[in-house]
Amino acid sequence: MIKITDLEKYYKTEELQTIALNKLSFDVKKGEFVAIMGPSGCGKSTLLNILGMLDDSDGGSFIFNGEEVIHYNERKRANIRKHNIGFVFQSFNLIDQLTVFENVELPLIYTGVKKAERKKKVHEVLEKMQIMHRRKHFPQQLSGGQQQRVAVARAVVNNPKLILADEPTGNLDSSNGNEVMDLLTELNKQGTTIIMVTHSEHDAKFSHRIIRMLDGQKVIENSLI
Amino acid sequence: MIRNYIKIAWRNLIKNKAISSINIIGLAIGIASCLLIVLFVLDELSYDRFNERKDEVFRVVFRANVNGELIKEAVVMPPVAQTLKQEFPEVVDATRFKRIPSPKVSYEKNNYRNGKFAYVDPNFFDVFTLPIIKGNKVAPLDKPNTIVLTKNEAIKYFGKEDPIGKILLVNDLQFEITAIIDNMPNNSHFHFDMLASMVGYSAAKNTSWMNSGFYTYLVLKKGLDYKSLESKFSAIIEKYMGPQMKEETGMTFAEFTKDNQLGLFLQPLTDIHLNSDFSSASTLEQGGDMKSVYIFCSIALFMLLIACVNFMNLSTASATKRAKEVGVRKVLGSKKSQLIGQFLTEAFFSTAAAMLLAVILIVIMLPFFNNLFDKELQMTYLLEPQIVFTLVSLLIVISLLAGVYPAFYIASFKPIAALKSKFLSTGNKKGVRSGLVVFQFVISAGLILATLIVDKQMTFIQNKDIGYNKKQLLVLRESYFLGPNQTSFKNQILTDPRVERVTSSGHVPAGVTNNSVTGIYVNQKFDRRVNIFYIDDEYIPTMGMKLIEGRNFSNNFGADSLNIIVNETTINKLGYGSNPIGKTMIIGVNDDLKTFKIIGVVKDFHFRSLHQKIEPLIMLNKSSSGLIVRAKGADMSGLITSISKLWNNYQVNEPFTYTLLDDSYNETYMAEQRMGTILKIFAILTIFIACLGLFGLVTFTTEQRFKEIGVRKVLGSTVSQIVLMISEYFIKLVMVSFAIAFPLGYYSMNIWLQDFAYRTKIEWPTFLIAGFITICIAFITISFRSIKAAQTNPIKSLRTE
Ligand SMILES: Nc1ncnc2c1ncn2[C@@H]1O[C@H](COP(=O)(O)OP(=O)(O)O)[C@@H](O)[C@H]1O
Ligand SMILES: [Mg+2]
Repeated sequence: MIKITDLEKYYKTEELQTIALNKLSFDVKKGEFVAIMGPSGCGKSTLLNILGMLDDSDGGSFIFNGEEVIHYNERKRANIRKHNIGFVFQSFNLIDQLTVFENVELPLIYTGVKKAERKKKVHEVLEKMQIMHRRKHFPQQLSGGQQQRVAVARAVVNNPKLILADEPTGNLDSSNGNEVMDLLTELNKQGTTIIMVTHSEHDAKFSHRIIRMLDGQKVIENSLI
Repeated sequence: MIRNYIKIAWRNLIKNKAISSINIIGLAIGIASCLLIVLFVLDELSYDRFNERKDEVFRVVFRANVNGELIKEAVVMPPVAQTLKQEFPEVVDATRFKRIPSPKVSYEKNNYRNGKFAYVDPNFFDVFTLPIIKGNKVAPLDKPNTIVLTKNEAIKYFGKEDPIGKILLVNDLQFEITAIIDNMPNNSHFHFDMLASMVGYSAAKNTSWMNSGFYTYLVLKKGLDYKSLESKFSAIIEKYMGPQMKEETGMTFAEFTKDNQLGLFLQPLTDIHLNSDFSSASTLEQGGDMKSVYIFCSIALFMLLIACVNFMNLSTASATKRAKEVGVRKVLGSKKSQLIGQFLTEAFFSTAAAMLLAVILIVIMLPFFNNLFDKELQMTYLLEPQIVFTLVSLLIVISLLAGVYPAFYIASFKPIAALKSKFLSTGNKKGVRSGLVVFQFVISAGLILATLIVDKQMTFIQNKDIGYNKKQLLVLRESYFLGPNQTSFKNQILTDPRVERVTSSGHVPAGVTNNSVTGIYVNQKFDRRVNIFYIDDEYIPTMGMKLIEGRNFSNNFGADSLNIIVNETTINKLGYGSNPIGKTMIIGVNDDLKTFKIIGVVKDFHFRSLHQKIEPLIMLNKSSSGLIVRAKGADMSGLITSISKLWNNYQVNEPFTYTLLDDSYNETYMAEQRMGTILKIFAILTIFIACLGLFGLVTFTTEQRFKEIGVRKVLGSTVSQIVLMISEYFIKLVMVSFAIAFPLGYYSMNIWLQDFAYRTKIEWPTFLIAGFITICIAFITISFRSIKAAQTNPIKSLRTE
């Protein structure tokens, strides 16, 4: 599903240039659950942003579903993104002014789903995440675990083929973290490809394969199955 | 401490460059416009106040209502001054002047016709403070045939030579120059270049109370209530005018005043400029108008308010961004009063900067502004104590307005709450801010509407069927200088192929014109005044007027001397019914009553401005000096050159003068045109300031919703969806403002339109256009900022955690 080759990314600040990704290559097959690990600053988030087509790379190739997308413009990428990719962030990134229901509904609005259909889908996914009873609450009124479940619900409501999760358990205690990992595992079993960045060896064990990075390069890959 | 405040204030200013400059520029434009208008208003109010006896001098004016017709004259009868002085001990002094329009002035071999000339009573300089700078300073006009010139006028004739004792010929009379006065101040309600002694002027000795023409001023005892004096005038009029009236009209004063009113009234000298509504013939100079002073004052106030509102809005909005700073300061032990001091210092700083910028703006804009208002306002006005005082008070008031609210509001944050969030939620504060945005757009939309309506009325005036064709008409009113040669001059003009027709008449429907009225009599009794035109058989076709009934005068001279052509209004108002041709009418002509027969009815045409309803008009077939030429083809200036060459062949020692009727027509509406331009300029400025404010608020909003925008983009929102999301709220506010602005604008513009007897209608498309323009401008402003925000890569906002 994903094949990246010699992917490069630099950040130029006033004086120094940081190499965030240094000729990184790997591929991810459909239905896989891949964990990416590495010390802080090694380029994991940068990688996820590029895979999520939120950011440009400075070289290399990125094939998504058989299409070379590296040179796609903003509009094309946004289009691929909203139909194919769901995001889960460490800090949830829910919109404070919107209720749980409205937060989860957003991706459906942007893909142009009809109102009745939206309601049905949101209810389905909230049910699945077991936060249906909280649908009228605002994010601040929820615990961290509940917020992250809402974020996951929002990520999957469009039935994306790929979920990108950047330290989804980073802000959660272990029991809430485990709930989220169970959710992801469940989604993966239903066929969703998942790429997850994590610092936790425990969480990484839920995946099929761990890619370890250092200074923007892949150092080792262990398969867990 | 203060130093620290200033340092931090400066850093904050620099740090928030965009918002700070929007803030300061907006306020500066507001203050500058306001001050310019204040200058204008002060100048309008300063008229005639240079006179030392300004509070004691009153003008005597004449008002009457004769057969339902209002007559208002700024001139009165020649004996009024002397009589009032004799009759009332309260009248300390009385002086008169008589204006002689465009006299011919000759010195050596040169002729001039552009000086402004008046005969004045010898005590003129005791009443009006016009310092004599040269010559006889005590009694320059005591002797007949003496004259006083202004400095500039003397230079015009004599250059560097000493003018005292020189002889000038005015209308072929000799005058000896006895003194020179300074040029008259701009803010005087009259401006004359030549003041000749009334002593030798026979018309001034006329004792008739039945004719008029003298501007008359009284000096009253200090502190006297002039209204009480005024009330005693009616007895005097009866005493002096009564016998003369009986003799001339056969009617006693009591009989006359049964159905009619007339009286003399007093007008304070300092009221003349702004509160005069006298007949145009007796108006000395186009005065100001209290209504426009009020309009400009409110515009000035609005501009300042809008600018202040902006300032407050943006200051509070950006202050909430500093919640964290306030929290930290509080945790570190800063007292509330110190925080308030900090915010006030910052407000003061920006206000002072705006003030400085405003003064610079005024320096740049003043010449343009002077041009627009037809004024000669000086920069030095700004150094007048009142203005300096206004500036300083403004500085303090605005700093307080803009600083106090955020200061107290933010300084009272709970430190923990402030530390926790980058922005404080501003629930009801948002309500206040929305209210302020609505207020600004009420004024902006209102001004746009007003501008559109003024424009519409101007177009209406331009396009109105005025009953004749004003295009390509050349008016030569001064052809009477040619005397008997007028006819041959006319015939020569007619041979020019660029000329279609020529008529001899001094009656023109716009601009300077012969002005005749006479009475219509019924049963030997005066019935009503009526306007009279003296025309020849060429007049109606030359002017492009239409006869709707009967026939034109014939070219057989004298054949129609007892026939008249009247306008439709005469028929309708005087009840001549459906078949007026052949009916008769008794009209006073040269003190004789004659019976005239109606032979034609001309379609109503506007012979006065559109401010006035068309009145009855009677056209007599009588020669009158002055020529009106209808040209064909485009070469107007070529034609004028040719005619002026013809003129010079007659060697009349008079310069050739002409006017284009089209120009005169437009000049009639100068005041409205100017009002339109001024409204337009201030509408643009107001909108600009309001948009600056909107821009600032949108900037602030996008900063506040930075993260939200990022999240939405990750979830697939397009740029336009984000822009719409941000705009929606502001556009709603703008719409709300229409609900207030439009009824208000409709109401006030209707009042303005009342001034025109013939006016355009305010219809819904005008509102639609005004709304559309406002929304477009608002939307462009908002998009400007929100598009940028929406295009930002979302990862920027998401990685800030
Ligand atoms: N916008 C940016 N500007 C400059 N440098 C950046 C930017 N984003 C990331 N970096 C740098 O790139 C490197 C990789 O960052 P990141 O991908 O966020 O690491 P990780 O997520 O693995 O902790 C780091 O050295 C970081 O400092
Ligand atoms: Mg990271």
